[in-house]
Amino acid sequence: MKIKIALAGNPNCGKTTLFNALTGSNQFVGNWPGVTVEKKEGKLKKHDDVVITDLPGIYSLSPYTLEEVVARNYLIQERPEAILNIIDGTNLERNLYLTTQLVELGIPVVVAVNMMDVVNKNGDKIDTNALGKALGCKVVEISALKGTGIEEAAEAAIHAAQNTKTIPQHSFSGVVEHAIAHIEEVAVHTLPEEQQRFFAIKIFERDEKIIEQLGLTQDNRKHIETDIEAAEKELDDDAESIITNERYVYIASIIKQCYKKKNNGGLTVSDKIDKVVTNRILALPIFAVVMFIVYYISVTTVGTVATDWANDGVFGDGWHLFGIGAGEYEDVSGEFGDAANVIDAFVTAEGADDVADAIDTESDTFDASAAASALDTFAASVSDDATADYTLVDEETLAEEDVTYTGAELKEAVATYTSYGCEEPDPADYGVWVPGLPGIIESGLDAVNCADWLKGLILDGIVAGVGAVLGFVPQMLVLFIFLAFLESCGYMARIAFVMDRIFRKFGLSGKSFIPILIGTGCGVPGIMASRTIENERDRRMTIMTTTFIPCGAKLPFIAMIAGAIFGGAPWVAPSAYFLGIVAIICSGIILKKTKMFAGDPAPFVMELPAYHWPTVSNVLRSMWERGWSFIKKAGTIILLSTIIVWFTTYFGVVDGAFRMLTEDEISNSILATIGNAIAWIFAPLGWGNWQAAVASITGLVAKENIVGTLGILYGGGDGTVYSNMASHFTVVSGYAFLAFNLLCAPCFAAIGAIKREMNNAKWTWFAIGYQCGFAYLVAFVINQLGSIALGTANVFGIIVSIVLIVLFIFLLVRPYKESTTLSNRAVKVK
Amino acid sequence: MPLSFATEGEENIIKQVGGKAEVRAHLENLGFVAGAAVKVITSMGGNIIVNIKDSRVAISREMAAKIMI
Repeated sequence: MKIKIALAGNPNCGKTTLFNALTGSNQFVGNWPGVTVEKKEGKLKKHDDVVITDLPGIYSLSPYTLEEVVARNYLIQERPEAILNIIDGTNLERNLYLTTQLVELGIPVVVAVNMMDVVNKNGDKIDTNALGKALGCKVVEISALKGTGIEEAAEAAIHAAQNTKTIPQHSFSGVVEHAIAHIEEVAVHTLPEEQQRFFAIKIFERDEKIIEQLGLTQDNRKHIETDIEAAEKELDDDAESIITNERYVYIASIIKQCYKKKNNGGLTVSDKIDKVVTNRILALPIFAVVMFIVYYISVTTVGTVATDWANDGVFGDGWHLFGIGAGEYEDVSGEFGDAANVIDAFVTAEGADDVADAIDTESDTFDASAAASALDTFAASVSDDATADYTLVDEETLAEEDVTYTGAELKEAVATYTSYGCEEPDPADYGVWVPGLPGIIESGLDAVNCADWLKGLILDGIVAGVGAVLGFVPQMLVLFIFLAFLESCGYMARIAFVMDRIFRKFGLSGKSFIPILIGTGCGVPGIMASRTIENERDRRMTIMTTTFIPCGAKLPFIAMIAGAIFGGAPWVAPSAYFLGIVAIICSGIILKKTKMFAGDPAPFVMELPAYHWPTVSNVLRSMWERGWSFIKKAGTIILLSTIIVWFTTYFGVVDGAFRMLTEDEISNSILATIGNAIAWIFAPLGWGNWQAAVASITGLVAKENIVGTLGILYGGGDGTVYSNMASHFTVVSGYAFLAFNLLCAPCFAAIGAIKREMNNAKWTWFAIGYQCGFAYLVAFVINQLGSIALGTANVFGIIVSIVLIVLFIFLLVRPYKESTTLSNRAVKVK
Repeated sequence: MPLSFATEGEENIIKQVGGKAEVRAHLENLGFVAGAAVKVITSMGGNIIVNIKDSRVAISREMAAKIMI
């Protein structure tokens, strides 16, 4: 026989730890139908026929939060065979409040008192037998963290499911019981007997959802209402509060019988830590230090190493195992590169084509000794005083630097160059070299004589796409370890408290700080970090605004614009961050006043869990769950988009024939056609040329691609990439181009993460649409108003800009009252 | 007086919980019921952390103002 057991309990009572201990790796993680609340199910270890469902952490079976509604609906509609109610032994009173409601459902309940080790250590005593008698169900002692008593708890739940009934032992005061008896008779007598009491109490509480579900007639409701009003009058309180108060009075009486607290009134360890950590003076400095550590490790040091390894190593050329030989290779390759530059400078200056041919390693007739002798002869023919000008180009940003070499330097360079056999040093010769996946796959494809287009599809489309998905995973895992640690040790809840007042002002949660901070490194883990925000409205707002902050991949692009168009002005990069922060703050203020976000803000009330050391297995499990869910849910969209962009970039019509293109022919590609077709959209922003439009599209694959694409499109012809760009952009249109690409839709990986976290197509599109729209308007205003300074403005553009600014200011300052209702999002769930 | 004005470290008894029905129900579910003892652990910019029924609850100034002690 199949048995369903529901695991119910307060938030932070150790429910997830118990669930993991009970089910091991036999888990299925998903969402409850129609909502973003996570649903976990798993098979009980050694019992294939027992399925355990982890309900959301709740304080009550009332209808006020999404979690409560989800848990309640599951219990009354699915009716599991048993409920395993886990309660925190160090906080009996509050935890038993839920228990008193669970036992009324008519489903067998087993209570597992968790943290018994802590209770015993404190010298407190819980008489579980007496507690069981008072509650009318079996009570077992466990420690989920230490793993003691867990099997007994599961066995007890199975036993209860098959053999027993739980009958609530507690009665309300006379007048309430009278009303409840009356309701049972009038409204719920058709239900099975054991379920009647729960529904009757809910009707007494005027629980609209339950009343709706039961479909009570108006007559019956009126009839019942007189009883409820009589009780309210006699007890001078509203029906719901009467029930709540009586439950607590009842719990107090149980606790008196079966709980002995050793030291009363003293501060607990958690309280003492809170006195320091959330102290009005120390809270922010401590927060800053914690954030610095998280950022430093997961973004700048370990995180960067991990991302570089994944992107440039595994999905690039290859990597040195454990870094052995990496330093040595870097030195020699730098030395060789410098020498090659000097030789190149003189060969070009002297017009020595024969030498150039001789040292061309790509040529079929290349011969190392011939190249060396050609170089030696060439070097001898150049006098020591001769000079040659050369322009160094930075690989990442394409920034240029003019240098002048002398003949003496050439002689040294030739000596160095020939000492390497006139060939670029191979990284495989230094240390332990592991080739990257694309290289391995490429040689494999070459071996089977694969067609060029298929090779391109596999390497530039699929492998690059998979790389884009997996490349971020190592860094994300590093970050997720920190988040899991901060969450499970209890500090995360305090962060929300410490930062709440500041972030509340612009519609974000105290916890929004972490996603935004991580977003400066990479938007993908930043968006994933928003998972820690419980409130749905705050989480959506954070997801939408996190990528406004410039991420690491946007830095080369910022440097390129600064160098090519602003002559390397130092203010450009800081202004990009400033723009990002302003965009987040303004969006927060504007959005929270819109209909989509209004209505369900949550006034800040949350339980702060006791501080404790998390277990390694729980931290790792949480890390893996999040990482895996990114790979699974975001992976498809990233892969697909990369392939589409690859196809449109490398295919096009040349001389009337549709074929695959080489890299230099990108101006014939489908993408260029699209760029031409949509360039007019960007004309009001000052950069309505197809090159910029195409670069913005390739930027969607990865933002650093903008630099590469502009390099190809503006390269060639007269002048360098930078000088060509400078002639195509004015200072104003250049900045508008920068602003648009910083603020518009992020790369596909980040869009995938947005889709994963929103878990809703409408919201994903809204987020992307908002980002693009916001970016467009900002760039528009920059260009139109900036044109005034350049004297190229047009009246229409200025008028529209001014209207936009006025509208913007109106949206910012229009009156708004933070609602004090808790949440009505629950209403949407049936 | 409202809980938002309570002094740190002092234990008080809740007299009444006000506010809209749902807010009140939520506070009551968390243990803020008339007769319960409540102690302010720290306060920060108006938000406070209190000890109630052996657990710590962080609560905003607006909500604390609805709890009378």
